Amino acid sequence: MSEVVLSIADLEKMYAGGVHAVRGVSFDVNRGESVAIIGSSGSGKSTVLRCINRLIEPTAGVVKLGGEQINTPYADVNDIRSRIGMVFQSFELFAHLRVLENITLGLRKVRGMSVEDANEIAHQVLGRVDMLDRIHAYPGNLSGGQMQRVAIARALAMKPEVILFDEPTSALDPELIGSVLQTIRGLADEGMTMIIVTHEINFARDVADRIIYMDEGLVAEEGPSSIIQNPKSERMQKFLSSINEEH
Amino acid sequence: MIIISSAIIFIFLTPILGEGYESSWSIADSGVESDLLTATTDSDGIIWVFGEGGIILNSSDMQTWESSESPTTSDLWTSDSNDNIIVAAGSAGTVVLKSAESNTWTSYTTPTATDLLGVAITGEGAVVAVGGNGAIWILENGNWLDRTFGLSIDFNDVDFEGERGLIAAEEGRIFGSEDGGLNWEERDTPGGLTDSTIISIDYYMANRGYAITSEGQILKSTQEGLTTAVGYNWLLVEIESEGRNTTLQRQISSMEVLGTTKFIVAGPSGYIALSKDGGNIINPQLLPVPNDFSINDIAMRDAFRGVIIGEEGTILWTENAGEDLAVGFEIIDLTQFNEFVDFSKDNLWQGLKATVKIVGFGILLGFFIGVTLAMCKTAPTTLKQIIEGNLGRALYFFWVFIPVYSIGGKVLGNLSSGLFFALIVTLISWLAIQKYNKRVIAEAFIENRQSSGYQIPEKYRINLIRTLGVSILVGLPFSEFVINGGFVTFWQSISDFRSLDLTGIEYIFAPVGDPDAFFNFLLGIALIYLGMLFITFKGKFKKHEFSYGFKLNPWGIRPLASIATLYTDFFRNTPLIVQFMFVHFGLQIGKHIQGAGTDLFTELYILSGGADLFIEYGIYATDAPALISKTHEFVFSDRAFLSAIFALGLNSGAYQCETIRGAIAAIPSGQMEAGRSIGLTYMGTMNQVVLPQAIRICIPPLGNEMVNLVLNSSLAMVIAYTELTRQGKLIIAITFQIFWTWGMVMVSYFVVTWTLALILRWLEDKTRIPGLGISGGA
Repeated sequence: MSEVVLSIADLEKMYAGGVHAVRGVSFDVNRGESVAIIGSSGSGKSTVLRCINRLIEPTAGVVKLGGEQINTPYADVNDIRSRIGMVFQSFELFAHLRVLENITLGLRKVRGMSVEDANEIAHQVLGRVDMLDRIHAYPGNLSGGQMQRVAIARALAMKPEVILFDEPTSALDPELIGSVLQTIRGLADEGMTMIIVTHEINFARDVADRIIYMDEGLVAEEGPSSIIQNPKSERMQKFLSSINEEH
Repeated sequence: MIIISSAIIFIFLTPILGEGYESSWSIADSGVESDLLTATTDSDGIIWVFGEGGIILNSSDMQTWESSESPTTSDLWTSDSNDNIIVAAGSAGTVVLKSAESNTWTSYTTPTATDLLGVAITGEGAVVAVGGNGAIWILENGNWLDRTFGLSIDFNDVDFEGERGLIAAEEGRIFGSEDGGLNWEERDTPGGLTDSTIISIDYYMANRGYAITSEGQILKSTQEGLTTAVGYNWLLVEIESEGRNTTLQRQISSMEVLGTTKFIVAGPSGYIALSKDGGNIINPQLLPVPNDFSINDIAMRDAFRGVIIGEEGTILWTENAGEDLAVGFEIIDLTQFNEFVDFSKDNLWQGLKATVKIVGFGILLGFFIGVTLAMCKTAPTTLKQIIEGNLGRALYFFWVFIPVYSIGGKVLGNLSSGLFFALIVTLISWLAIQKYNKRVIAEAFIENRQSSGYQIPEKYRINLIRTLGVSILVGLPFSEFVINGGFVTFWQSISDFRSLDLTGIEYIFAPVGDPDAFFNFLLGIALIYLGMLFITFKGKFKKHEFSYGFKLNPWGIRPLASIATLYTDFFRNTPLIVQFMFVHFGLQIGKHIQGAGTDLFTELYILSGGADLFIEYGIYATDAPALISKTHEFVFSDRAFLSAIFALGLNSGAYQCETIRGAIAAIPSGQMEAGRSIGLTYMGTMNQVVLPQAIRICIPPLGNEMVNLVLNSSLAMVIAYTELTRQGKLIIAITFQIFWTWGMVMVSYFVVTWTLALILRWLEDKTRIPGLGISGGA
């Protein structure tokens, strides 16, 4: 149970023009663990996440999935990405396809499944996220929360080793956030390995096994979810207090 | 809307009215039932008809006939008239005669009562009658003179012009007299007529003689020089309308000469025909009587008015020399708009079909090229990625594919076989490599390792890349299978350019003077640059920084995008009309495609069991399957068509590429990210996610482009493709109605483009995604 699924060592990302977005981030994720990454905007959270499945190419560092380094030039990027699921802040459902086809596209084209098998899996995952009633709708006819749940189902259908959530609820209004967070909680309870970048501190405290606080491209503090109550570093204290002031 | 546009198209489909011919012979009422056997016109224009039982009829208007009292009951077979007398003769030696002033007919009989087959009046007023067994009788002042000269063949006809006479006889013989019929001698006739009987012989004035045989041959005699009179030399007329045959291949029984070169011949089975050029062309005429009607004689008052007579009292008259009347052929008055439209709508319809044909193919070709180019231009694969990630492939391309292609081409003799061979070799070896890779992965899996197949170890990479650079610069310079590297290619192109002998700025036209050299020039530069880049590779993909802050990132070059840019820059910076002419007249694309297509279809034809030449002078072999010949005819029969769709498609593709690229760029990058994060490749995401959405966005601007294509198709006129505009020019050349013609052409174009716009509107509706995008409404 403490097998390391994902391991990041000295990850760095420098953009042309001198912006040092990520300055050396290292952490491991064990199987079944859900890790929440919190921090203020511009701290490099999303960049780290995108470096994991190589949507952004890290300038330095080693990313290992299941023990094998994946950020080499000759690794099969597509195969790696099919083993890592991703849920975006802006949902990014395929707008020209219905919900069912959104789910089954990866299964049919990447895994090479037949339509019937793909549909079966799609029904399963849609049941898990409670979206079976809108299975033939177009994304344009869904609300934000519904879309995000479909996106989660799409990631789940590929049976990934780890799912990355890039601020999944940031584009939703408070009423819709609840259903999505419920879904994610359900996944965590089932033992899905997850990395969640989020602004929802309370959710992070409730669901995550570990919390990583990033600031200016570095991991400022790391530990179990109790660090929310008792932040050790000054920066995290400042961060948490500023959020509490808003509430 | 669709109804209106299809109604406009339907108007052009209205068929042309029925046309035909009618006989210009009309039936007159003769008042008798007996067979009418001979007719003649007197100097007053009255036509006299004689027949069975001695019937004598006359008419002054050819339509009403009155009977005269006849002094005989013998059949009258032959007749003649001059200014003073009218005479008819027939069976048992009967001759009836009437002077012009008197109304009574007198009858005479030859002493021997022989059947008289022909009668004529000499210039002196004597009546010469000829008959069976060589009988010749001259009646003068009531006295009979026997001028038989001992032959026993039948004399069928006689005619006189002044004192010159001609007799038509059996055995293809003609006899002539210079002294009013007293003395006769044989005239020369063409050989081979001995089996024919000359039935009828006539003078026309003093300068023509015609004779006909029972076999349907026509003989003509003309004046030869100043010494030989008409009637001495006879020639068989070669009838052009019978394929230069000398016979009409039917029986004819009578002839009437209306002019020097105009005559009518008639025969049994309702045959009557007119020639206006001395027998060259003989045109049969329609008759309003049954086909078995036997015509016995013709009598013409002048060159146009006359009658034909036949059995059972039938008389037909004409005022038109019997020429068939055209009915339903309207003389088109092109200043009347409806008549003009009737005249030109066929042409316009042809032009419309031709335009739609090239527009259809042009749109398809343009769209296909546009999508391909757009994909090339947005392809993210940089040089760095190729070298880093796919070094194996790059090495394979330069060290396996190119040498095999080049050597194969030289061994097999031509480059296309070399290419074919190289492709096969590449395919086979690539499959082998994949299999090896799979084995490597499987072995690793067993050992609990992850592997992505065989990878070139890191330590060899730099040296391999440097060696690649050297090989690109140098090529394969030894042995007969030379492959030119960058240096040699470039140098050769320069010396080829030098040999063009241009001066200074004229070198801008050098690519046209030597296209191969230009290609080598560009290739040489590219190879040298690549080679130098690879040679100086030290493991890091550095960017060049020049002194004035000018940065160049050679490893960031995207090769596909560069090629696509070359293409679009060329086609968007030259005018379409020039492209048309260059493609058709310069490159002769139409001719080459036609040749290749015809070869292909000939192969198909032979495969389907055909035994003949597939196509010869535009006509297909009769045993070619309809599918093969129809498809070939539709696609490959017109060279201008092929060049037109080629030029249109290539040009339109360049413009459509930019539109589609814009549409692709309008798709949020998150869609590409989402697609890639489920494991789809770049092309996979393009095909499944981005393009379906992008196409919907680009339908309106592409519609614009397609309308442009329709209107630009009018430029195909310069390569002699008969589409709408060219048809317009042709119509103007015939009718000179400029305003109407161009107006109608414009309406036709409007119909085509409007229909296209309607189709696109429908397409837009059909591909609309609920909830996606702003397209009208709240």
